[in-house]
Amino acid sequence: MKKVTMILAAALALPVGSVQAQSFEQAFNQQRALYGKGHTFTYENKTYKTDHPEEVEAMAEPNRTNAEALIASAEAMRVKSAELGYEWRDPVRYLKEAQEALGQGQYRQAMNLAARAKYQARISIAQYEDAEANWQRAAPE
Amino acid sequence: MKTIRKILLGAGLVILSQTGLSAESGFTLETVDPEADRLALQNYYQQRFPGVPLEDYVNGIYAIDPESRKQWDALMEFPPYEFDLEEGEELFNTPFANGKGYADCFDNGGIGIRQKYPYWNREEGTVKTLEQEINECRVNNGEAPLPWKKGDIAKISAYMAFTSRGQPFEIDIPNDDPRALQAYLDGKKFFYAKRGQLNLSCANCHLQGSRVLIRADLPGPMLGHPTHFPVVRSKWGEIGTLHRRYEGCHRDSRSVPLPPQSEAFRKLEYFQTYMSNGLVVNGPGARK
Repeated sequence: MKKVTMILAAALALPVGSVQAQSFEQAFNQQRALYGKGHTFTYENKTYKTDHPEEVEAMAEPNRTNAEALIASAEAMRVKSAELGYEWRDPVRYLKEAQEALGQGQYRQAMNLAARAKYQARISIAQYEDAEANWQRAAPE
Repeated sequence: MKTIRKILLGAGLVILSQTGLSAESGFTLETVDPEADRLALQNYYQQRFPGVPLEDYVNGIYAIDPESRKQWDALMEFPPYEFDLEEGEELFNTPFANGKGYADCFDNGGIGIRQKYPYWNREEGTVKTLEQEINECRVNNGEAPLPWKKGDIAKISAYMAFTSRGQPFEIDIPNDDPRALQAYLDGKKFFYAKRGQLNLSCANCHLQGSRVLIRADLPGPMLGHPTHFPVVRSKWGEIGTLHRRYEGCHRDSRSVPLPPQSEAFRKLEYFQTYMSNGLVVNGPGARK
């Protein structure tokens, strides 16, 4: 009986996270926070890099076509975020600067700025989804 | 076998305990209970700041931070909103070009009605705020609407709030119109949902963060928030409306802020003011 009580106590005290393996997202975020972009790490015997998808997109050949495409996809992501009411402050500014860089033929700079805007817009959409699922956790009962 | 049974029992309890933590209570149209929310909020603050009388929460941060209170008491010897109040009264009583005035647009001639705002307008199916109806009054009488955030609209609103001083808020959520309850729930959700690059909700600063330093500032408690608006903020150096503050807070989280009097902000005001039901109107106010 004593053992059962102890198991009960341990089970109630144990957060679910501690009995689950670290997810890929957790591992990625941890490595990214520790080492920044461009770092190589291993997860479940496979090798990955700590680059965001948008940063990978920005590594394409710097030319007008690629820059315009990245700016367009970033703008679409920003618009979606705004429609959800979760637009962040900076993507619109980054996109304006990206357009200016594009106009000056600075394609690499334009792609980097667009990637930054697209990343922030994507995360703001993830924030919306998280808020939809979890907003009530902060309310006193 | 016994050991396996015990492990399975333990694992089952882990899952059950987590399910219990995530059980919904008061967060859907079917379960939300504004009165329970209001009492839970009062209870939260009574536990958080024992000994602070509920009625003192109309004074915001000055109710719960004695040092700030001393400075505020000194400031209030000559309240910085007095000239705005005088101008507000004059504006309120100045007839429009068609000879009518604000008094013609509101119940009781617009005097002593602040405690009923915002309210659910059944015909229009929306939350109406006092500032919104001040501007509607102007437009309906052939005048141009006033800018929402500061200036004359804040002064007129300040005068109207002043005529209600001491009256307890009595925000009503009609139980025969589920749209009103949905508006309240939407406002509640807005208050608790994290936003912006800083990932902050209203609650992060004004519930959990009440009297917790954010750089050099001490955020005020959510309970009693709307009672003292419009306010003269030292930072603004002038009088402004509640929605000006909403816009500023929203921007401070590094969001693109919603405009004043947007539907989402009006619902937020509906929720927040309901939470202050029973507390008295003490606007206009003065804040840091």
